[in-house]
Amino acid sequence: MSIIEFLQVPIFQRALFAAILAGGTMSLLGIVIVVFNMTTIRFALMHFGLLGGAIGLALGANPLTAAIAAIAIGSLLFGPLSDKLKLDTGLIGAFFMTGSIALAFLLFYKAGVPALDVFSLFTGSILTLSRNDLLFITVLGTVVVLTFVILYKEIQLIFYDSEQAEWLGVPAKRIRNGLLFLTGLSIGVAMKIVGALLIDALILLSAMAAMRLAKNFKQLILLTSLFGMVTTTGGLLLSMVLDLPTGATITLTGVLILLFSTFIQK
Amino acid sequence: MLKGNAIELTNIAVGYGDTPILRGVDFKVKVGEFVSILGENGAGKTTLFKSILQILPLMSGKIKIFDREVSNGRDNTWLRSQIGYVPQRHNQGNFPISVFDATLLGRWGSSFSYFKRPSAEDKEITMEILNTVDLSHMLQHDCRRLSGGQTQRLNIARALVRKPKILLLDEPTTHLDAEAQNKLDITIASIRKQYDLSILMISHNQSHALKLSNRVVHLSKGKIHPGLGVAL
Repeated sequence: MSIIEFLQVPIFQRALFAAILAGGTMSLLGIVIVVFNMTTIRFALMHFGLLGGAIGLALGANPLTAAIAAIAIGSLLFGPLSDKLKLDTGLIGAFFMTGSIALAFLLFYKAGVPALDVFSLFTGSILTLSRNDLLFITVLGTVVVLTFVILYKEIQLIFYDSEQAEWLGVPAKRIRNGLLFLTGLSIGVAMKIVGALLIDALILLSAMAAMRLAKNFKQLILLTSLFGMVTTTGGLLLSMVLDLPTGATITLTGVLILLFSTFIQK
Repeated sequence: MLKGNAIELTNIAVGYGDTPILRGVDFKVKVGEFVSILGENGAGKTTLFKSILQILPLMSGKIKIFDREVSNGRDNTWLRSQIGYVPQRHNQGNFPISVFDATLLGRWGSSFSYFKRPSAEDKEITMEILNTVDLSHMLQHDCRRLSGGQTQRLNIARALVRKPKILLLDEPTTHLDAEAQNKLDITIASIRKQYDLSILMISHNQSHALKLSNRVVHLSKGKIHPGLGVAL
């Protein structure tokens, strides 16, 4: 089948729409992760999702909804807890990760939740998105872009020098916590789109590549968004044409872009 | 020109939690004066700055800036318009931002904020300050690629861009080589004159402090002790 033929199938239309939108918008949150040095937050939130999924299954609720709810709650707790415990956001991730995975395993054992059912949450695919998923991606993507546009100066100041931002009267902690919350929600969505193990491709790799090439914040935003879109859309189209697994192809496209950025960086 | 005291601390105590680091500190900087504070690591020099800036609340005592009491924390907007603060910051982190933007954003809250964009005047002032610290040829340069000396001159520009009357410098020349240090000294002396600044500088180097300032004081055991006076 050619790309044109693929695009006449509703499943692929939905997938392409999601790829463009999620790739172009959620990738921006990768900047938050890189700047605040929070690479552990992804693992922490994924494990939080695992715990949520286990609770959902134990209570007979929809495990994916429960997982995303747990991720949302986790990302709300991240900033305030790291302030309260005076731990850096990287370390607090380790604290969350180990705690939640231990609880999840206790739950598997005590409530007889089949662990494999929960782990299956981690193998999402962009080809199985429902209308509601698309709606959720659209709303979340719009919120992310609006946040970066409206708080452009403030976010820039916080990323560059949060101490100065605070002294100038910018509510640095509240904005940071808001960004962490959006990041958590996006990780939840990415779990559904590419599968949790491939989240980096959607959220992290584009920002890492753009960080190397951009000279200012505007370039950083535009490049991240562009790389994000190329990663998801390019990966999706390649996987259709070459008949390869979608998640892995998307991730590999992201890796190639990152590799490319390290070569052309002066 | 203003007269009297730029900074006046009366019997202040300040610290973290319930533990005071500074106790019973009385200290003045006259308008136009350049005072350096020397002291061991951990003597509380940066804590003193944070109390003047109202970042740390006072446990007791009073702080006046140009004879206006600011220790109640209600006048922070006014305080920010009077004081420029150059913290110890020797690298620019990992975030890409241009020299011009980094400096311009120092004016946040004075003439632009959330929904108000920087005006032509904001940009003019930014240009003027970058010119003064000799960075006007690097406006679009990525801050991550600046040298140590350029980084410190940028830090000073970011504090000066609000056109304050008082400048607090926290060990500005630490980690700089002799050449960069000399260039920074010249910059500090020239901005002091150009903008009628009263300056309070933390230093770890007595001869450097004596070279630049009118007066040097020592901070030890939570108290300020008069040091050598130098007439410039």
